[in-house]
Amino acid sequence: MAYHSPYRAPPQISAPPDQGFLWNIFQRVDKDRSGVISDSELQQALSNGTWTPFNPVTVRSIISMFDRENKGGVNFNEFAGVWKYITDWQNIFRTYDRDNSGFIDKNELKQALTGFGYRLSDQFYSTLIEKFDRQRKGQVAFDDFIQCCIVLQRLTDVFRRYDTDQDGWIQVSYEQYLSMVFNIV
Amino acid sequence: MSFHYGQGYPGGGNPPPGGPYGGGHGAYRPAPSAPYGGAAGPPRGPYGGYGAPGHGGQYGHGPGAAPSGPYGGYGGQPHGGPYGHHAPAGNIPPGVNPEAYQWFHTVDTDHSGFINLKELKQALVNSNWSAFNDETCLMMINMFDKTRSGRMDVFSFSALWDFMQRWRALFQQYDRDRSGSISGTELHQALAQMGYNLSPQFSETLVQRFSFRGGRPGIQLDRFIHVCTQLQSMTQVFRERDTSMTGNVRLNYEDFLSGAITRLM
Repeated sequence: MAYHSPYRAPPQISAPPDQGFLWNIFQRVDKDRSGVISDSELQQALSNGTWTPFNPVTVRSIISMFDRENKGGVNFNEFAGVWKYITDWQNIFRTYDRDNSGFIDKNELKQALTGFGYRLSDQFYSTLIEKFDRQRKGQVAFDDFIQCCIVLQRLTDVFRRYDTDQDGWIQVSYEQYLSMVFNIV
Repeated sequence: MSFHYGQGYPGGGNPPPGGPYGGGHGAYRPAPSAPYGGAAGPPRGPYGGYGAPGHGGQYGHGPGAAPSGPYGGYGGQPHGGPYGHHAPAGNIPPGVNPEAYQWFHTVDTDHSGFINLKELKQALVNSNWSAFNDETCLMMINMFDKTRSGRMDVFSFSALWDFMQRWRALFQQYDRDRSGSISGTELHQALAQMGYNLSPQFSETLVQRFSFRGGRPGIQLDRFIHVCTQLQSMTQVFRERDTSMTGNVRLNYEDFLSGAITRLM
């Protein structure tokens, strides 16, 4: 079998923060006071720990997950979800970034994804590093790590929908294939 | 039975927009771009809670956006306007399009000699005056930034300029009703002319996904470029696996993942 229930839940580490605390953060991030945090506001507020701008594609991925009305940003209620999502990822990332360098290398990435239930070849982990390492360090930073996990999760999910007998193989037509990947990338 | 999927751009008037750059199909190495479409769930829950499906249309119409003429130019600054840092024409490096050269210096607002994502985004507008979306800008930077530094020098920018001009011409050609956006029907016709054998439903779905909120259904130039370029790459991935040309492939999980990740992003 090619994959084992890949979306193992990360440990629930963060307790829900209280509303006053979140409201303070929300107001600081919502620079134009519109009541909605946009992509660029969130991007400016986030740090990947390496002094480079947070991956804008990761920001878009995260906002689109919580933006219920497709308004291009998140309101205060939705922001609570964003906050928890990022905090959970941060805790996971720290677990694997043992030397606190702000980056995880191929082995650490493998440990993390194996922990989530993925079973992938060594060659594939090299591909992941090559593709998601925006800073060309041979390792992935926090923002790119999140994006890597989101993409893997989406691809696995769409594969799974077609792999009805769960044998790790699918047969698809050209147009089906395009629809599968267009949903993700 | 002969099964046609994208034959690229069959001869005729249309130059292949992907052609000259690193071999066309899927030759670029875009950064991790994945964000639109159905949202992935948060990392907890075994299958991830699906948030609201995020569409691309995150960039609202700018305040007071004057829809003048269906096709916006590059940026708000007119050629030769008060902001142009036009260098004398004599300094244009060989192989660089003179118009692109002028634009490069206008767009390079911090005068670093390079254009980054932010500067590129500010320079490119759609016909409804919305800024180009991040995914398309990142994709193009990754296509033309040979150094993988995430920014472009004047040579890369000149190549991107030519690429954009070709796509802009195609966009205008396929926008048959001159509405400033490509409808589902228009996209279907465009893809058919480019040699893709896809159902009308396929184009309709793409247009619905990438249409601007609140407007009438249709995709802007940025999405058109993005969709067509991705389609080229994905077709290439499929074609490599469809060795017997049946229009069907059998894929295992990891091969599916690698195909998508290496070629599409």
